[in-house]
Amino acid sequence: MLQQSSLLWVEKYRPKKIEDIIGNDEAKASFVEWLKNKRHTKKAVLLFGPPGTGKTTLVNAAAREFNFTIIEMNASDTRSEKAVNAVAKPATSYRALDAFSGDSNKTSGNMLFLDEVDGIAGNEDRGGVSAIIEIIEKSLVPLILAANDPDIDKLRPLKKDCMLIRFHQVRIPLIISLLQKICLLEHVKAEFEGLERIAQNCRGDVRSAINDLQNLSERNHTLTLQDTTLLSSRNRDISMDETLRQYFSAKSIAEVSSLLSYSSVEYDDFLLSVSDNLPRRYIDADELAKAYNYISIADVYRGRIGIENWHLLKYFFNELAQAAAVNPKSYKPFEFITPPIRIITLFWTKGKRTMLNAICSKIGSQCHVSVEVAKENIVPFVKMLLVKNRNHSLVAWFKFTPEEVDFITKLGRF
Amino acid sequence: MSAPDEAVMWVEKYRPKTLDEVVGLHDITESLKAFMRKPETMPHLMFAGVPGTGKTTLALVIAKMLYGANWKSLTLELNASDERGIDTVRDRIKTFSVYGPSRLANVPFALIILDECDQMTGPAQTALRRIMETSSRTSRFILICNQSSKIIEPIQSRCAIFRFSRLDRKAMVDHLHWIAQKEGVTLQPEAAERIVDYAEGDLRHAINALQTASAYKDGCVDEKVVSLVIGEASPMQVQKMIRKALYGDFNEARKTLYDLMGNFGFSGSEIIRQVQREIYKMSDLTPQQKADLSSVIGDYDYRLTQGANSDIQLSALLAQFGKFGKTIEDTYAPAK
Repeated sequence: MLQQSSLLWVEKYRPKKIEDIIGNDEAKASFVEWLKNKRHTKKAVLLFGPPGTGKTTLVNAAAREFNFTIIEMNASDTRSEKAVNAVAKPATSYRALDAFSGDSNKTSGNMLFLDEVDGIAGNEDRGGVSAIIEIIEKSLVPLILAANDPDIDKLRPLKKDCMLIRFHQVRIPLIISLLQKICLLEHVKAEFEGLERIAQNCRGDVRSAINDLQNLSERNHTLTLQDTTLLSSRNRDISMDETLRQYFSAKSIAEVSSLLSYSSVEYDDFLLSVSDNLPRRYIDADELAKAYNYISIADVYRGRIGIENWHLLKYFFNELAQAAAVNPKSYKPFEFITPPIRIITLFWTKGKRTMLNAICSKIGSQCHVSVEVAKENIVPFVKMLLVKNRNHSLVAWFKFTPEEVDFITKLGRF
Repeated sequence: MSAPDEAVMWVEKYRPKTLDEVVGLHDITESLKAFMRKPETMPHLMFAGVPGTGKTTLALVIAKMLYGANWKSLTLELNASDERGIDTVRDRIKTFSVYGPSRLANVPFALIILDECDQMTGPAQTALRRIMETSSRTSRFILICNQSSKIIEPIQSRCAIFRFSRLDRKAMVDHLHWIAQKEGVTLQPEAAERIVDYAEGDLRHAINALQTASAYKDGCVDEKVVSLVIGEASPMQVQKMIRKALYGDFNEARKTLYDLMGNFGFSGSEIIRQVQREIYKMSDLTPQQKADLSSVIGDYDYRLTQGANSDIQLSALLAQFGKFGKTIEDTYAPAK
């Protein structure tokens, strides 16, 4: 464990003391102030800001300096109400035993740390946010939340109960001097311009800067400006459009294959975007059918890969490449549809689906059928009956709300 | 028009409460009566057959015969298509079957009715099998499904299996007339025939159509009002989507697809099932063309079960329709 982490410079040089963390002095100060004096007025704190700016590091360093035991959950743990309660509640409602033993030098108690709270996903983590709010209210120990983007709607309720501390991108000179320090310790001979290039490219993300430095210099213990041309741009938004453009305009399978092996776009998103844009690329029905056949098989591979069969990834890419090269001659530039239609559609229609599902489960429980059967076979009749008579006795029998009656009568035919 | 204080949907109002009221399932009800004389001898049961033929009704009748007015507290009724994962089996079914109410009440066992259980995942079925074994002293299962072949063998072998076939035409017509009479509705003979044609052996469908039609025209149901109601209740978006795809308007077809998935929340497999059904209803296709399209649909139905994104698979299917439509373009002069 120890040896493995020392291989990664990010871990090896992770600051152990608060004062060693570079940048964000104001944020560090207010966090320490909260931990020392203010946590009796506000029980929780939300650290937010771009990745790699020191949020997690600060929490760990502070815990060490002030003798707190950290109980950590992050986005990879499921954050359903049940899971939150199972892990977080005991930690917050009972102080660590040491706290009562009188030997208070040893520890100041527990500190609950929920990292990546914006990773809370809609379905998996049903009830996660409200459970967190409940914990904040009941907590006896300091509670720290960290997020990359504090503006996600789901987290809004949390803002009320938390003290907010904003983290900014770390400034370039600070990053350069840190990289220089690491180079010294790792015996890397580095050109200043090379380090500068890394620092500029990382967009204030110290973690990625250190990673880049390690990747580029570890083998030869040197770093030149020339080496940094290999740096992939860390601006992810631009890369999707650019990848799509190169993908659709490719002249040959070889060209697409090499593009796919170098591109850093997330391939689930990429697959969706390719599917969306395919009819703009291929106007001819035969070409479209042929290309879609490849995409469909690529999707089958994606399904079989699941979370473990990664050796199938090469076949997935092969099918994707074939879809781009059905007929290079027919290519004409076109404007891309992004982001994926599905994500937009599902976003805008979520309210409708939720309402329809609520209606169908009421019907289901009265008529002993599943939601699906209710939707397909019973809703159309219920709609006609209600259109004929809004006050039909079935409204009371199904316990429909007025909004639901409204919704049903206006429901289109499927 | 029927009385304004009618309490319920007729499907529920006239759902049989005893074995003798059940329509057209004489052989099955006789065997069940034998079990009911000595309930402790009742094995686990499996009811398999097409929708609307009385499977759920019989399960509920058994619950009422076993427990009388208390039946709801001693019966766990779950729809596996709503809660199909292994967690449901572990949490709800296991808890009920092992610590079920059977220990509290003076009954031989608690009853678990699992509807649409051919929708259960493989792991869930395996877990269920184990629970059926360990809890056989405290509970009995009635498993209801459309296709028994989708249920794993070990579960099938633990059940007495009853197969429900499509209801007999005459029995359905008679039943509709009986309900109409009870409700004081005049049901014309041709109208009843028309409803039965439409329902294709699904009595629930037929009764819903009858109730809706009777609300439309002052308690007199004729063929015209039935046609109107049936027309309104039939799906049309899927048909529209298929035609757009065949005409070569892929983008419109895909828009309809996302409408079905977004606004109505239909899953990929539901949509593909409707596509398959609608293809066979299209009178402008030759039997050969229907068969060819069916092969294509089958291929994509399979890919759907393997793939990661159902919208991609369905879009790809629509693209195949576009290609297919080109080969038989003359047939598809836009209808209406």
